[in-house]
Amino acid sequence: MTLVEVANLVINGLVEGAVIALPALALTLVMAIARFPNAATGDVMTLGAYVAVGVQGALAGAVGGQLFALGIATVVTALACALVSLIAYQWIFRRLGRAAMVASLLASIGLGFLIRSLITLAVGTDQRTFSLPLVRAWNFGGVRLLPNDVVIAAVALVVLALVFAWLQYGRSGRLLRAVADNPDLARLSGIRSQRLMWLLWALAGALAAIGGVLLGVKSVVMPELGWEFLLPAFAAMILGGIGSPHGAVIGALLMGVGQELSVPFVGPTYKIAVAFAVLFVVLMIRPAGLFGRPELVR
Amino acid sequence: MDAYLIAVGTVVLIYALLAIGLNLQYGETGLINFGHVAFFALGAYASALLALRGWPLAVTFAVAAAVAAVAAIPLGLAALRLREDYLAIATLGFSETVRLMLQEERAITQGVQGLPAIPKLFGALGGARADLAIFVALLVAVALAAWATHLLKTSPFGRLLRAIRDNEAAVVALGKDPARYKIQVFMFGAALAGIAGAFYAHFLTFITPDQFVPLVTFYVWMSIILGGVGSVRGALAGTLLLVAFLEGSRFIRDLLPGVAEVQMASIRLAVVGLALILFMLYRPQGLFGKRGG
Repeated sequence: MTLVEVANLVINGLVEGAVIALPALALTLVMAIARFPNAATGDVMTLGAYVAVGVQGALAGAVGGQLFALGIATVVTALACALVSLIAYQWIFRRLGRAAMVASLLASIGLGFLIRSLITLAVGTDQRTFSLPLVRAWNFGGVRLLPNDVVIAAVALVVLALVFAWLQYGRSGRLLRAVADNPDLARLSGIRSQRLMWLLWALAGALAAIGGVLLGVKSVVMPELGWEFLLPAFAAMILGGIGSPHGAVIGALLMGVGQELSVPFVGPTYKIAVAFAVLFVVLMIRPAGLFGRPELVR
Repeated sequence: MDAYLIAVGTVVLIYALLAIGLNLQYGETGLINFGHVAFFALGAYASALLALRGWPLAVTFAVAAAVAAVAAIPLGLAALRLREDYLAIATLGFSETVRLMLQEERAITQGVQGLPAIPKLFGALGGARADLAIFVALLVAVALAAWATHLLKTSPFGRLLRAIRDNEAAVVALGKDPARYKIQVFMFGAALAGIAGAFYAHFLTFITPDQFVPLVTFYVWMSIILGGVGSVRGALAGTLLLVAFLEGSRFIRDLLPGVAEVQMASIRLAVVGLALILFMLYRPQGLFGKRGG
């Protein structure tokens, strides 16, 4: 591999990693507070991608510019999936909060199946694409940069920055971190957690949805879109350390770059296998991940 | 009609073998295995590939069990010393990785085209008699598996497994290493799935990677949940209900001319998804289990 090829792979990996960071952040926040791996996250991503394709299609002609229509579609989708996520919490996960972890986990698998099957029943299994302006890649002496990729990465980074600013400085964001850190202490300190749980689930739904839209923009929208990125997102969460928001983002960027750099060696179809390999190695040598606390692991 | 009933009965018994293994792993020991289909697939492909090269089936069945059991070791070492949800994520990833490899390593597995013309078990008996012989052999295998599980449950080893499930800290305090027992149970369940896979391959005589999707794992979960987690009888009853549903959905499609097979697959997925949610919410003890039991 030449240096230019490596640079191209790294750029592509960073873009993909920035996108995976969104569902990985959703997973790790739910894991820290609701304490189970939410396997429905992938299918919420798929739902987001399909909703956004539909909204963008409906807006076509009504508003100027494909990217502008896509922007509106993304906001509408984030709100819609936040609502779906809230309904799922109210209907399922709130009631299973006191049951064993496996009940929530199995229910989240079931919810994922339900969402995916409703999507295919509603719109079929054909692939969809967003309509995007056709633009040529910028070329810096062989290092290619797609303007669409720049937009995707920028959107992902802005969303991440907003969430982190909220977690760091926002009142409810700080309360959320307190609950994640020590739920009993938070309750003893008088933090009312019900409103926080609604915020958490709305945020998790919106993050997954935006991640799904960006993935759909980068490739194509199909019923298995989110499922195929669930495992990389899980691996990113564990690599970063469960419950650590910045760990999830760094884990996702490393996963994205690692997956792309593996392509010349194992081909593009083995991405899930690379995610599994990363997961396996982390579990073997450092199950707490890069930024996790060992006592959360056992 | 007889041939059809025997074919359905064979599918029930194959799922029953899977359910008995998963029931021992989850119901008795508390291991959350979301990759059961991977061991099923490994058994099916290992046995089929060797049989196509002329190995006798008695040997290929043993290899199928061994391959599946050995594949469980690294996973067990990685995830069983950690919190229970790590095994769930790791096994899910493992099953997708196995399916991907079966699909991509065309030189060995012929990829998505699958393996045709796998030697039929008891093929020398010819058509219907071979199917009947497979059914009887499976009946014996399921009975043996159920009996072995029963012996295991009532032995000191079984008590230890339930102790691990209910209070792992106490088991550690008694000086036992729970991870060791968990890996043994994990391997035993995987070996049963491997044998089930070998039966599957040499009954259908044609396998493709598409037959080993994660949905199969959750069919098995659904059948042990239906019957009530932790009981072999429940697992068998749940399996019967599950296959009745899967087969029934085929008849329903024949009655509804407007519904395509793709849509029926979606409907099956929706029913399993909804059933998982509703059972977790309203009847976590299964249809026949006692509340709090």
